[in-house]
Amino acid sequence: MTDDAPAVRAPGDPFDPPGLEWSRVSGKLVTARLVPSLTTVGLLAVVGAVVALATGAAWVWVFPAFFVLLALWLLWLVPRQVHAIGYAERADDLLIRKGIMFRTLVVVPYGRMQYLDVQRGPLTRALGLASLQLHTASAGTDASIDGLPAEVAERLRDQLAARGEARLAGL
Amino acid sequence: MSDGLPVPAPGGATAPSSLAWQRVHPVTPLVKGWLVLVVVVLGLLRSTAEQGDGDGARFALHHLAWVLLGIAAIVVVAGTYSWLAWRVTAYAIDPDAVHMRSGILFKQHRKARLDRIQAIEVRQPLAARLFGLAEVKVEVAGGDGSGVSIGYLTERTAQELRADLLARAAGLGAPSSGGKQPVAAPADGTDPKHAPDAVTSAAGPGRAPTLHATEAPEQPLFEVPSGRLVASTFLTVEAWVLVLVVAGAVVAAAAARTPAVLFSFVPVLIGLGSALFGRFNRSFAFRAATSPDGIRLRHGLTETRAQTIPPGRVQAVELVQPFLWRRFGWWRVHVNVAGYGREANGKGPTTVLLPVGSRAEATTALWLVLPDLGTADPLALLGEALDGSGPSDAFTAAPRRSRWLDPVGWRRNGYAVTARAVLARSGRVRRRLVVVPHERTQSLGLEQGPLQRRLGLASFVLHSTPGSVHPEVPHLDARDARVLLDEQSVRAREARSQDLSERWLQPPGARA
Repeated sequence: MTDDAPAVRAPGDPFDPPGLEWSRVSGKLVTARLVPSLTTVGLLAVVGAVVALATGAAWVWVFPAFFVLLALWLLWLVPRQVHAIGYAERADDLLIRKGIMFRTLVVVPYGRMQYLDVQRGPLTRALGLASLQLHTASAGTDASIDGLPAEVAERLRDQLAARGEARLAGL
Repeated sequence: MSDGLPVPAPGGATAPSSLAWQRVHPVTPLVKGWLVLVVVVLGLLRSTAEQGDGDGARFALHHLAWVLLGIAAIVVVAGTYSWLAWRVTAYAIDPDAVHMRSGILFKQHRKARLDRIQAIEVRQPLAARLFGLAEVKVEVAGGDGSGVSIGYLTERTAQELRADLLARAAGLGAPSSGGKQPVAAPADGTDPKHAPDAVTSAAGPGRAPTLHATEAPEQPLFEVPSGRLVASTFLTVEAWVLVLVVAGAVVAAAAARTPAVLFSFVPVLIGLGSALFGRFNRSFAFRAATSPDGIRLRHGLTETRAQTIPPGRVQAVELVQPFLWRRFGWWRVHVNVAGYGREANGKGPTTVLLPVGSRAEATTALWLVLPDLGTADPLALLGEALDGSGPSDAFTAAPRRSRWLDPVGWRRNGYAVTARAVLARSGRVRRRLVVVPHERTQSLGLEQGPLQRRLGLASFVLHSTPGSVHPEVPHLDARDARVLLDEQSVRAREARSQDLSERWLQPPGARA
C-alpha cells in the first residue's frame, strides 16, 4: 500500500507546505462579510420575535432563537474563514488556499491567465478593500482572492498581468 | 460590395475595405427559416379554422382569399427582410483571420484569428442537405458563442473554404503540396505537432498552386458499424429506464382499465426517447481519419457533420466503459476542445471521438490525440489504466483507507505520470480513464473535506477547458496528492514552454 511513504515526500500538512510564504487578506474582510449576513439574520430574528410576541405562543420563539444562534455561529465562523484565506506568489504560479472544513488549494500558472478582474462593491470600497479574480480558459478554476487592500489588489493585478504576459502560452 | 442601406455604421465596426467580401448562398434564409415559416403558416391556418365555431373547414373555405392573402403578406415581409439580411451577410478571409459580417439594424462584424482556431466543422442539417448546402463553423476559444458560422454555402465551396482555412491556420501561406501523412501506425512516436519536417521533406503529389485546391490527404482509421451503434444504444441505463417506463405505463393502463393513463407517460417517453435518438442520430455512420490538418470526424444521420480538430487542440481525453458494455469490451471516447464547451453541455456531446468501439479502436482514438504517450510501453500502461487496479510501478493508487469514502471503486482510483501526460484512472462499475497532456493543463487544485482530512486523504483536480471531461483523482494519500500537485505544475510549465501547436505546419523558425 502507498501508506508506507517512500523517500520523496513533502512532510506535514499538504495544504501548508514548508518554504512557502503565505500572504493573508485584510482582517477588514470579516466586517465586509459579517455586515450583510448579520443584517439579514438580525432582521429575520427581529421579525421572528415580533411574530412570537404577537401570537403569544411559546413555541414560536424557536424561530428568533434559531436566528440568534445562527448569528453567533457566523460571528465565530467568518473570522476563522477569513483567516484561512491565503495566497502565495511563486516564481511561475500563484497559489490560493481557502476553507477550514472543506479546504481547497488552487495553483494558477501565470502563463495560463486569460484576464484579471478587480471588483469593488459599495461596502468593500468603504472599507478600502477589493477582490481580485483570475480567469483561465477553464471554468473550473476558482481563483479569486477576496478582501485585498485596494492598493495591494491593484499592484497584484498589474504584477500578475505583467508576469502573465511574459509567460503567455496558447491554450 | 456595399450594403446599399443608409444605416450609418458605428465607428470601428466598419471593415477594412481591402477585404474581399463574399456573400453566402441566396437560399440561406429559406434553409435557416423554413421551420419558423411553417409554424407561422400552420398557426395562422389553425387559428382561422378555430374561429369558425366548430365548422372551421367551411369558415376557412369562405375566407380562403383572406387566408391566402395573409400568408402571402407574411411571405412577402419575411422574404424582403431575409433578402436584405442576406445582402449584408458576407464573409472574407485575410492572412490572419476570417471575418463575418451580418445584421441590418444591429450590425455585427466578427473576426476570428486563424492561429486561435480550435476546430472547424462542416455542418449539414437536413434542410440544407436537400439544397446541397453546408455551413462552415469555425470554433475559437473565446467562450460561449464565440465561433464564426459561415453559411450556407454550396457543399463544394464549404469544402474548399475549410481546406483553405486549415491550410492558412497551419501556417502554409501559399501551399503547393498537400503534405504527406506523416504518421502511419499507432505508437510509432511521430507527433503531428512536429510535422513541418515531414511536410517539407515528403513532397506530396503536386497540386494546383491555389489555396483552394489543397485538401490535405487523409488516412481512415476506424468507423462505427450501425449494428454496434444500435446495440450499444440499447445497452445504456437510459434505454433500460425507457423500457421500464413503457412497461410501467402499460401495467398502469391495464390496472386502471383506461388507455388515458398512457398519456401521462408521454412527456417522460419523449424526453428519454429523444435523448437516446439524439445520441444515435449524432453518432450514426461515425468515421474517423487522420490527416496533417488534424483529426477528421464525420458523423450524423439527419444532420451530418464533418469536424476537423487540428493537432494539439484537444485539451483532455476520456475513455469510459459503462457497466453494460464490459461484456462486449466496448469503450466510448470523449474529448474537451476549447470553444465547444457550452454546446457539449447543452445539446449532448459534440466532442465524441468514438461513440462506441473496441478497445483497440479506443486506444487508436487516444493515439490520435496523443501520438506519443511518453512511455516506453504504452500498451502495457494503457492495459493497466483501463482494467487494472491497485498500486504498481506506473500507477500511484489511492490508499486502502480510502475505502471508507469510495467502498466500491477505491482500488481503481489512481494516477500515472508519463513524460507527456497524466493518466487519471477511476471507477470500478463504470470504468473511466482521463488523459491530459502536460502542456494542456490550465490550473491545478487540491480539495479536502472533513472526512478526507481525518483519513489523511485529498483529491487532486486538474482544471481543463469547459467540456464533458473533468479530470480528477479522488481520495489520494494527502502527501501523494501534494507531491503530484507540485511536480505537475513544474511539468506543465516545461511542456508549455516547448509547445508549438499554434501554427502547426509552419517551421519553428518562421514564427513571429
